[in-house]
Amino acid sequence: MNFFTKIWRVAAYEWFDAIRSRRAIVILLLYLVTAVLGMNGSISMLEKIETQLVETLQLPESEHTGVVSTVIWKSKPFQRMVKNLTRDNLVLQDITGKHPVELIYAWFAFLCAPILVVLVAAPRIPEELGSGAVRYQIFRTSRAAWSLGKYTGMALMVACAIGIGTLGAYGVAAFRLWMGGDSPNFFLALLQWGFRAWIYSLAFLGLVMGLSHLTHSPNKATVFGILALVACSILRVLAGIRRYIGSVSDVWSYAELLVPSAYKGELWRSSISALVTGSASLVALGLCYLLLGYAFFRRRDV
Amino acid sequence: MNAYAIQTTDLVKAYGARLALDKFSLAVPTGCILGLVGPNGAGKTTWMMTVAGFLRPKAGKIDLLGDGPFDADVHAGRLSILPQDSELPLAGRPLELLVHFGRLQGLRKQEAIQSARKLLETLHLGDRLSSPIRTLSHGMRKRVMLAQCFIGYPEVVLLDEPLSGLDPREAAHARAFIAARKAKQTIVISSHDLHDIEQVCTHVAYIEKGRVVRFGALRELTRKDSLLRFFLTGAPTDFDALRQACPGGEFRYDETHRVLACSFDGNAQPPEEINAKLLPALLAQTGLLAIERGDSLEKAYLRDRF
Repeated sequence: MNFFTKIWRVAAYEWFDAIRSRRAIVILLLYLVTAVLGMNGSISMLEKIETQLVETLQLPESEHTGVVSTVIWKSKPFQRMVKNLTRDNLVLQDITGKHPVELIYAWFAFLCAPILVVLVAAPRIPEELGSGAVRYQIFRTSRAAWSLGKYTGMALMVACAIGIGTLGAYGVAAFRLWMGGDSPNFFLALLQWGFRAWIYSLAFLGLVMGLSHLTHSPNKATVFGILALVACSILRVLAGIRRYIGSVSDVWSYAELLVPSAYKGELWRSSISALVTGSASLVALGLCYLLLGYAFFRRRDV
Repeated sequence: MNAYAIQTTDLVKAYGARLALDKFSLAVPTGCILGLVGPNGAGKTTWMMTVAGFLRPKAGKIDLLGDGPFDADVHAGRLSILPQDSELPLAGRPLELLVHFGRLQGLRKQEAIQSARKLLETLHLGDRLSSPIRTLSHGMRKRVMLAQCFIGYPEVVLLDEPLSGLDPREAAHARAFIAARKAKQTIVISSHDLHDIEQVCTHVAYIEKGRVVRFGALRELTRKDSLLRFFLTGAPTDFDALRQACPGGEFRYDETHRVLACSFDGNAQPPEEINAKLLPALLAQTGLLAIERGDSLEKAYLRDRF
């Protein structure tokens, strides 16, 4: 049996074992509820904004929520404003004209993916290290195949969660917005953002699971994961501030490259080359973090 | 085939300042069932975990099945272990777990299912194949742990306290299950229950303070071929008559238990011959309740304390 088959065997069982656990079911449901409520809330908010805009600017009333926003997207002054906010011309170009609800979902998915990863994946490896269950596997397969299999299994699990969240969000949007013939395209658009959020989550997954090789305690691993997310956010903010005030030293530029969110901009783009570059960077970053954890695990007593 | 399934030479493993294995050298003959006997903390579990690759030794050499120290790529499916104090995944089901383990070892799906089912049924778990591990009793979990060791017929099986927590009936059944593998697989058992070791093992190693202090065939250590014990109704009256019947034999009488022990050179004369000569002389002097060959392992172990 080759190395990849072994990884797949571990991954398939890991996914199967994770998806039936009570913890996973609770987290899946929480994620679904958050996606549904988030989508519902954002549509309500958009409705209010559009109603106010229609009243203030005395525009003709639109039949569906989002139509006015889509029109506003096309105005040059608005675009200039968003450009100043995003500070990325290319991203602005690519998202211009997209349905606002689609963009809100994308923002939600990118925001929640790292948190989802910490909650779902952080305790899995320490649970087995702590209970000794790992000992039933690592004489049957290599530690490397075990670690990579666990990572792959959790990646499948996160994909399930994001997929279910996307379905829930689409259900609410379809119900509230009555898109008619545009509905399948809208679904595909949400699915695409869900997929991008999943790619984004792979880097965090590597980071969180890499760290979880260091402890026998599931709770400690969750805390490590949360601290890692906080550290990433702080690093990103600090790098952003220093860039804004125009004094970015090399150290900060390099340090920023270690943070998954540094590659998020690529995932907002429509160009295939940007998407592939961003995705490859995120997957590679995730694997690097995982391998650092594995390097420790490889030599440790279990 | 290698003469030795496992050879460890001068193995050293330390936990902080404490040496768990202190130049531990042991060669396990292929096909034997070896019992590791020793006090708590002697190094039995550490040795097993080191051989299985769970622990990294500080020094020393391990040769497993003639292919060097444990390497999953070389030894996967050829070695298995029942580790002490290791829980099976609680959400798993016995059959599904064993099939997964079998598949990891490289068995085909049908082969793994058949093998897992047969093993679990043999260990009386046929009615709990799909029950979550968390719902099984301690003894049932132990039997699942025991079953997972034998899936795929590995050449070497390491069992750390395999029978602890089993009820007497299941323990006897499990002993028979292990003993039936004599000469087919190399099995190493660590246990504090010397009765279990005596029933199952062909060889025994005494472990003390991280070292092997004695190793040999069970028959040799318990003197099965060089000691006869006669359980009498009263004390023998004429030792000279006994010495005449068994020249070269050494006699010791334990008055408290009314046991006469006769030690002799088993290579010169088999115990059956000695018994045939000694019995008439003994019966002429006193009554006889029973005869036993050799000591129990417990007695031999306590006698040989190091």
